[in-house]
Amino acid sequence: MFATSTQCKHWMFTSEDELNKLRENANFKHIQTYGRQVSEANRYEVFLTPDEEKLMVRKYEYHLRDFCKRFQPPMPRCVVGTAFHYFKRFYINNSVMNYHPKEIMVTCVFLACKVEEFNVSMMQFLANIKGDRDKASDIILNNELLLMQQLNFHLSIHNPFRPVEGLFIDIKTRCTLNDPERLRPGTEHFLERSLLTDAVLLYSPSQVALAAILHAASKLQENLDSYVTDTLFGVEGRGKLDELIDAVRGIRSMVKMVDVAVDKNHQKLLEKKLEKCRNPENNPDSEIYKQRMQAMLYDDDELYTQVVSERQNLDDSTLGMTITSPGA
Amino acid sequence: MEDTICPRCKTTKFQNPSLKMMVNVCGHALCESCVDLLFLKGSGSCPDCRIALRRNNFRVQLFEDATVEKEVDIRKRVLRDFSKKEEDFSSLRDYNDYLEEVETIIYNLTNNIDVINTNKKIEDYKKSNREQIMKSKNKMSREEYELEELLEIEKQSELSRRNEIKLEEMKTKKKKLREKEALIDELMFSNANAQNIVETFTQQVKEFKEVETKPASKVTQFSTGIQFGRQNQSSFLPVSIEEGPLFVYKPQGMVTDGPYPPVEEELSTLGYNVHIRTETEQERAGGFVSSIACMRALQDALAGLYHVKKAIA
Repeated sequence: MFATSTQCKHWMFTSEDELNKLRENANFKHIQTYGRQVSEANRYEVFLTPDEEKLMVRKYEYHLRDFCKRFQPPMPRCVVGTAFHYFKRFYINNSVMNYHPKEIMVTCVFLACKVEEFNVSMMQFLANIKGDRDKASDIILNNELLLMQQLNFHLSIHNPFRPVEGLFIDIKTRCTLNDPERLRPGTEHFLERSLLTDAVLLYSPSQVALAAILHAASKLQENLDSYVTDTLFGVEGRGKLDELIDAVRGIRSMVKMVDVAVDKNHQKLLEKKLEKCRNPENNPDSEIYKQRMQAMLYDDDELYTQVVSERQNLDDSTLGMTITSPGA
Repeated sequence: MEDTICPRCKTTKFQNPSLKMMVNVCGHALCESCVDLLFLKGSGSCPDCRIALRRNNFRVQLFEDATVEKEVDIRKRVLRDFSKKEEDFSSLRDYNDYLEEVETIIYNLTNNIDVINTNKKIEDYKKSNREQIMKSKNKMSREEYELEELLEIEKQSELSRRNEIKLEEMKTKKKKLREKEALIDELMFSNANAQNIVETFTQQVKEFKEVETKPASKVTQFSTGIQFGRQNQSSFLPVSIEEGPLFVYKPQGMVTDGPYPPVEEELSTLGYNVHIRTETEQERAGGFVSSIACMRALQDALAGLYHVKKAIA
């Protein structure tokens, strides 16, 4: 049930303003931690502004969509939806400069495959990635736990796809619309675009689904208003109707904004800027990162040997003798 | 144990299956017949180590290794004197040190290390802790006494319970016999329908049984009036467990935050399942019914339609 889910409790927000504030906060925190030596005035010449970060996230959302579309074997829609959710949630509280979206994106898809029970092996998964595959698998596995931690381990996602099916069944049963299947292509197109917006963080999946169907209906000059007001909401839901209308209007306007063209050149510039200001500790190509990994590995070893020797000492002292092999 | 052999007469377990090995304080084993022979006078010396032994100190060897026997013996002796409890020490550290010391003494004695000094140590300890030893001896005997008393009480209650059960059985037997006779009498002399009579009788018996089963549960009471109001008595009984309030099942309600979805029975009456694919035979064998998927889709479609996230002021 959506109403009792972690998605509803922790990952639904009141407005785009709230989301923007959280993202600005993440950006500010990053600059606070890593940009102390940079002066106030030229801070944003070095670092990305919150708006620029948003553009980067947006860009990689398109990448995410294309990656999922080209994925072999073809993945179910719910995996795509879940991956989008993870990606969006991650960058609410984290800065693009700290964790590169390119890496988080593949990790999101990998985790979503697991959570949505779309069984692909690491080898199959890597076959869809261009470039150095060993490095990619390292990146994914290193980031997977981080991603889950940043998601607060709230992994189950309610996608709008099943509600769409439910609404179609309901429309076929309780509405006199002729051939509701006509609406399907329009609905699916709408849902796909809705994933590129913040709508899934602001409205419940069933609201998004309903908006998608209503949008598709209006494209075909059909009218489902009486179905929604009389059949779906009926007497008991009359008081809630205004809020739903607002929600549907909000979703549709947000989705409309997706079509605004993006400036390719600007994006390229941003990419370069990001490459300069990203946190070297989390950049797998940097020396610092390699050192850190080495240190972690070394730490693990050291910890292990320490524990083992402690054990040995304890055994020796309690028995008052050393263990000798039976042959001795 | 197959190759047990008496060191003196070289009798083995194989030759004499009833061979019984005995040990004394020195830890050297002898077979029963050799003990009888050697210690005819009640005392003598060990054939192995020439130590003076008493006959009544011989015990049946329980462990294969005779040194273990010896250690058990020594331990028993030492612990009779070193009988301090954890309560007698101010800290756990002290108690552990004390235990350590006791173990060292026992180890020394069993392995003949520094016997003279160790024995001296024991003597010293005995002297300086005479009072303590007496006290603990008293305590031990008192505890044993209490245990015996408790066992006695248990035995008695068991006996009385058995008597009661016997009595009860006899009573019921008699009653049954009487009932049977009454039924036959009734059948012989009454003018009523025979079937009716049998029915009323069985009815009566049934009622009787119901009444009877109830008081049977409270028979568990001591018939003897023995009081055992000592303080230590509670330590023998299992600790009673405090039980909280019993679990009460509350059915889970559905929070939909939207219009209520149809219930499963309505799927067919309202015509929902016309619009869904029916399950194949294989799917049905796996326990899948299409109405489950249909219900789920409908529930998901309607849940959360009223959702509004209010800004937290």
